[in-house]
Amino acid sequence: MGFGFTRGRRRLPVSLLAVLACSVAVDGFINGPVSYAEDAGNLYNTPFDIRSGERYFERQCSRCHGFDAKGNDETGAPDLTGRLNRASSDAGIFNIIREGIPGTAMLPVAADVPDATVWQLVSYIGSLRYDPSSVDLAGDADAGRELFNGRGECSSCHMVNGRGGRMGPDLSRIGENQRPEDLLDALVDPNADVDPRWWTLRVTGPDGETREGFRMNEDSFSLRIMDADEELWSFPKNRIQSYDRIEESTMPSYDQRLSEDELDDLVAYLFSLRREITE
Amino acid sequence: MKRITRIAQLTSATALFCSAALLPFASLHAQETSQEQPFTSVITPAFTPVTWERLMNARNEPENWLMYSGTLDSQRYSLLDQVNVDNVDQLELKWAYQIPVIDRAETVPLVVDGIMFITEAPSNVVAVDAATGREYWRYDHDLPDDLRICCGRNNRGVAILGETLFMSTLDAHLVAIDARTGNLLWDREVAPHETGHSKTAAPLIVKDLVVTGIAGGEFGIRGFLDAYDPETGELVWRTYTIPGPGEFGNDTWSGDSWQNGGSPTWITGSYDPELELIYWGTGNPGPDWNGDVRLGDNLYSDSVLALDADTGNLEWYFQFTPHDVHDYDAIQIPILADIEVGGEQVPAMMWANRNGFYYTFNRATGEFLLGKPYATVTWASGLDQQTGAPIRVPGMEPTYEGVLVSPPIVGATNWYSPGYSQDTGLFYVTSFDGEQEFFKRDEDFEVGERYTGGGGRYTQPMDAFHSSIRAIDPSTADIVWEFPIMPRSSAGITTTAGGLLFSGTADGYFFALNAESGDELWNISLGSRVHAAPMTFAVDGEQYVTIAAGNVVYTFGLRD
Repeated sequence: MGFGFTRGRRRLPVSLLAVLACSVAVDGFINGPVSYAEDAGNLYNTPFDIRSGERYFERQCSRCHGFDAKGNDETGAPDLTGRLNRASSDAGIFNIIREGIPGTAMLPVAADVPDATVWQLVSYIGSLRYDPSSVDLAGDADAGRELFNGRGECSSCHMVNGRGGRMGPDLSRIGENQRPEDLLDALVDPNADVDPRWWTLRVTGPDGETREGFRMNEDSFSLRIMDADEELWSFPKNRIQSYDRIEESTMPSYDQRLSEDELDDLVAYLFSLRREITE
Repeated sequence: MKRITRIAQLTSATALFCSAALLPFASLHAQETSQEQPFTSVITPAFTPVTWERLMNARNEPENWLMYSGTLDSQRYSLLDQVNVDNVDQLELKWAYQIPVIDRAETVPLVVDGIMFITEAPSNVVAVDAATGREYWRYDHDLPDDLRICCGRNNRGVAILGETLFMSTLDAHLVAIDARTGNLLWDREVAPHETGHSKTAAPLIVKDLVVTGIAGGEFGIRGFLDAYDPETGELVWRTYTIPGPGEFGNDTWSGDSWQNGGSPTWITGSYDPELELIYWGTGNPGPDWNGDVRLGDNLYSDSVLALDADTGNLEWYFQFTPHDVHDYDAIQIPILADIEVGGEQVPAMMWANRNGFYYTFNRATGEFLLGKPYATVTWASGLDQQTGAPIRVPGMEPTYEGVLVSPPIVGATNWYSPGYSQDTGLFYVTSFDGEQEFFKRDEDFEVGERYTGGGGRYTQPMDAFHSSIRAIDPSTADIVWEFPIMPRSSAGITTTAGGLLFSGTADGYFFALNAESGDELWNISLGSRVHAAPMTFAVDGEQYVTIAAGNVVYTFGLRD
C-alpha cells in the first residue's frame, strides 16, 4: 500500500459531512429572550455562537475539562468530545451548566451569566461531536466484524460486548469517542498514541522473579499489572528490585497485514461500536 | 534511613504477547533502600475463579470474603482470629480508599485472593489491592438522568461467580463485569426505572444462578425475586412477591391493589445448600401508611419466603406483619444456623424484624418456634406463641391527625446486617428504641410517582432515644447483653473467632466489643456516619478489618 504511519499520508476512508448544524435560522441576538432548558431546541447555534461558546469555554471551563475539552483525570472532569454520560440532549447539557452537578466539582455558572451564553456553550460542546449517521464510510461494517473475529484475530485480545480477550482495551464503545481517521491511525500505527493503561511493565520482584504485564496502575509507591496469564499482581515499589516501563503498544501494526479495503472494513466496524441508546 | 536512587536509561527488548517488533523502552530502576529489607511475600496473590464449591465452603477460606454476608448462611462470622480480644487495641489504619462520588457508602466489599471489589454510589465498582487499597480497575455505570429512588444513591455490593462480578444498578439493571479487567460483559434491564424500580442490593449466587431482588416499594411497584443465567443474563425464573389473580393469596388484597402493592426485595437473602432453599425477606405493602386501599393481609409483604432454588417456587412463607401500615419491611438478612431449642437440635433461622420482634424458626418447615420483642414495641402486645402472629393493640393505625407508635418508621432495626457467632451462640442486632407519630394521607397511584399514603414525625430529639447493639439468645429470645450507642445506628455487625464483634455508629465510630460479654475493647473515630457492615479478610497471613464510613473505605490491621 505504501503509506507510512504519519497521519494524513493515506487517504481517509471517510468524508465527514455537516459537522456543524447551521440550518436553523436564528436572530443572532445573544442577549435575547431567556431560553428554558425544556425548550425544544437551541437557538444559539450559528458559527458565531459556536465561536463565542468556544471562547467562553476556554476561559471558564478549560481549567478542568482541558483546552481541547478532552477532560482531565486529575480533576475528574470528563471528556466532552464523545458521548456524554450525564446528558443526552442540548437541554440536558444546558441544565448541567446552569445548575452544576451536586457532589462533584462541576459548579453551576454564575447566576448572572445570560442563558444565551450558556446556550452558546451548549452549541460549542455540541460542535465537538458529530452525528455518526452523517459519516459516509468506504468500508463495510459487517465484513469488518468478520475480520475482527476471524482472520484479523482482533477478538483474541479485545472484548466487544463481553466476548473476546483481555489483552487489549474493551472496544464495545470505541465508536463513541473515536473518529474514523483516529481508528485507522490506531490500526496502522498502534504506538502513536498508547493509553498508559496498555503500557507494559517488567517487574523483578523481591523473590528475584521477573514478571511482565500490562500496566493496570502505577502510582508513587506501588504498581499493578496483569500478566500474560491474565493474573493480577500488585507490587510496592520499595520492595522490588527493579522495573522497566515499555511505553509501547503490544498490538502489531495492521498496515501490511490487511489490505486497504480490509482496513476500511475494520474501521467501519469499529466506528459502528456504540452503546445502544434507547430513548 | 532510606536512600532513594532513580536511574533512567534507554535500552531495548522484545515487546510482549503479540508484537514481534523491537521496541525502545525506558528503564526505571526502582527505589532502592540502603539496607536489605526482609520479606515474606510482598506480592498480592493472583485470584483464582470462584466456583460454587468455593462459595458453599466460604467459611473455610476465611482469608476471603466471597459474598455480601460472608457465607451463604449470612452469619457474618469469620474464623480469622489473628486479631482477637487480647490485641484488638493494637489495630491501626492500613489504608483508606476515597470514593470519588460524594454520597454515602453502604458497600460491603468482597475480597478474593488479595483483590478487593468495592461498590460505590451511584452504581460503580472498583477493584483494588486488598493490602494497599490501590486500584486495579474501575467500572462506571452509565445512568439515566430520570432515576426514581426512594432513599439515596446506594449500592451495597457485588456478587462473584467464576471470574465475573454481578452488580445491581440504580436504573434497575443487573450487570456482569469481568473481575480481572472491569470490562462490562452484559447489562440486563431487570425492570424499567421509569416506573419506580431500582436496585441497590448485592445479588446472591445460588448454584449456577444469580438471584437478585428489586427496590421500589415506595413507588407502587409489584415486587419480585429473579434468578438470571450468569453467562447470558437471561432470566431463568421470576417469583412475584404478590400473587396474581387466581393464585393463592391474591384475595388478601382488596380490589386491584395487588398491582401496586410494593412488597419489594431490596436486601440480599440467604441459602441452605442441603435443603436447597433460598430465604429472602420482602418489604412493606404500598402505600406504606394508608392501608384503606389495600384491605386484607397483603401477602407476601413483610414476609420471609422460602423458595426452591431451581424453580423459584414458594415452599413456605411466614408473614411477620400482616396488613402492615407502619412501613415495617421484613428487609432483614435471614441468619441460618443449627442450634438447640428446647433441648432439640433445630435447623434454625433467626430474625430480628423491623417491627420490633425477634423470631426463631425451623427453616426446613417454616415453623415458628419462639419470639418476643427485642426493642420497644407498642403496635402489638406480643406474639401468639403458637403461630407467631402479632397480637395487635387497637388504635395504632396511622390517622390524619397522627398517632404515636413504636418502633418508628426506621424500625427497631432495618436493612443493616445482623450477626451470629458460632463461639457464643448469640445473635446480634443493631436496635433502636424510638417512637414516632404516624400520619395517613389519601393518595392516588400514578406510575413512577411516590405512593406512600402518609409519613411520620418525631416528637422528641433523636438523642432522647435509646440505641444499642443487643445480643440475643436465639433459643429463648432473651437479651443477654446490650451495648448503648448514639443516637441511631445503621451499621451492620460482624463477629470473628477472635471473640470480637465489630460494628459502627451514626456519629462516626468504628468499634470492637467482646462478643461474649459486650465489653468495649477498641474504638476509633472515622469522622462520618457508618452506613455499612464490617468485613474481615487476610492477605499474606495478615488479618485486616474493613469498614465504609462516610465516603471512605477504611482498612485496619495490627501494628507491625
